[in-house]
Amino acid sequence: MVSSNAPRDPVPAGAGRLIRAVEWLVLRIAAAWPFLLFFVGFFLFWEYAVILFGVPGYILPTPSEIVTRGWADIPRLLDYTLVTGTESVLGYLLAVAVGLPIGLAIAFSPMLRRTVYPFFVSLEMVPKIAFAPLFIAWLGFGLLPKVIIVVLVCFFPVALNSIHAFGSLSDELTRFCRSTGAGPLRTFWKVRLPAALPQCFVGFKYAALNATVGATIAEFMGSDQGLGFYISIATGNMRPDLAFAGIFFLTLLGLALFGCVTLAERLLIPWHISQRRH
Amino acid sequence: MAATIDIKSLSKTFGTGPQAVHAFGPVDLTIEAGSFVSLLGPSGCGKSTLMLMVAGLLEASEGAIYFDGERVGAPRTDIGIMFQDNTLVPWRSVEGNIALQLELRGLDPKPYAGRIRDLLRSVKLDGFAARHPYELSGGMQQRAAFCQALVHEPETLLFDEPLGKLDAMTRESIRTDLQALWMTRRPTVVFVTHSIEEAVQLSSVVCVVTPRPGRIERTIEIDLPWPRDMEVKASPAFTRYVHDIQGIFRDYGVL
Repeated sequence: MVSSNAPRDPVPAGAGRLIRAVEWLVLRIAAAWPFLLFFVGFFLFWEYAVILFGVPGYILPTPSEIVTRGWADIPRLLDYTLVTGTESVLGYLLAVAVGLPIGLAIAFSPMLRRTVYPFFVSLEMVPKIAFAPLFIAWLGFGLLPKVIIVVLVCFFPVALNSIHAFGSLSDELTRFCRSTGAGPLRTFWKVRLPAALPQCFVGFKYAALNATVGATIAEFMGSDQGLGFYISIATGNMRPDLAFAGIFFLTLLGLALFGCVTLAERLLIPWHISQRRH
Repeated sequence: MAATIDIKSLSKTFGTGPQAVHAFGPVDLTIEAGSFVSLLGPSGCGKSTLMLMVAGLLEASEGAIYFDGERVGAPRTDIGIMFQDNTLVPWRSVEGNIALQLELRGLDPKPYAGRIRDLLRSVKLDGFAARHPYELSGGMQQRAAFCQALVHEPETLLFDEPLGKLDAMTRESIRTDLQALWMTRRPTVVFVTHSIEEAVQLSSVVCVVTPRPGRIERTIEIDLPWPRDMEVKASPAFTRYVHDIQGIFRDYGVL
């Protein structure tokens, strides 16, 4: 006879959590299967197409060769990832630290809107990366010119989106705040800043994508370390296998930076439509 | 105490020179303390412009507005204001949005917790205090905005087509709430609308505003019993008011 007081879930709590986690993982994999299938299929096609058509390794290596030779050079790849990562993160943070207040100042100052803003918009049209050789020539092979180039490619998305973000509070909310008699500072903290965050994050995310691109190109131009340097040297030495390994680590670096910004966005504006889970 | 609002030779022109647009006026009007006055007119006639000038949120080109004899020269902070697009912010809950009105005024919302609860109950939103605006329907959002406009106990309420975007059933339901509030507390209400039926149902006085440049064509006292429920709306007197006002707009080619 079954007792009516028998526990409904006979699985212990710890095991229950594990089962749920496994279930979650299985479900996620099940949901991602089309992508995973495509991903695996793509690399299989690459592997066997190279073998089938007899493409020489110095033109296009197979994925398995890239993994094997990249693994053999892992200490250097990790060192260089740290170098490029430092340039990207420092430049990115500096661009945000400078771009956000400048964007804010332009949004609130009619004088700056008439003078600096058109200048920034014109500069946005200039391919900033074209300045890279100049900075290398002026400042040498060290960290500083790379950081400056990353700042250049990250600054404009941050600043221009901040100008837009802080300058576009709805008429209704502006009037509502004025009708309460709130001063500019209180209005800023309570309404303007949170209202501006989603648009600011558009700039932050775009800049995060630019950061590793800026650092890599700066390293192409003149460097003795970093993933850009590594890829450039590997290509010059007819070692595309190592170049691909470098590209793989650059991709991981870009994903990590973008992931951090996306996480910050999720934490700071969970209420925004882009963050809601349905 | 509810304020008497005196509007003297008020007009508003936007822009200058050949680009200037004469939006409103000149208008003279007295809104008695404790009355419910609707500004009724077609789109673009300047009725919202007049409301913003009354709130001190827009400067008049000529003339002046007085609250109990005191000239309006800056945004009035003793009013409650509500727009067609509500002023709820998405990062705060319903309760937090109502508290925002207080926080912007430098007030601590804690002592107002009971009042916020009562307000939410009065508009049938109890149980939704912790929800965010995006979790509510359009009608519920406007009800929450209504509480936001009332929490600091203003004696003058300005409504700029607050029901304009709602469906017919929700509009009817919120009109009932609005009417109940006015009958209980008797604030001075200025209500901008383009619905003739809404104006006649809610108002003690309807000001018929002409197409641009808006002028007050006629001030009509609505002599119907309160509360103006479905029965009153079905009465011949109600229909006559609606019909007379329709006639004015027909003469202007609006209808």
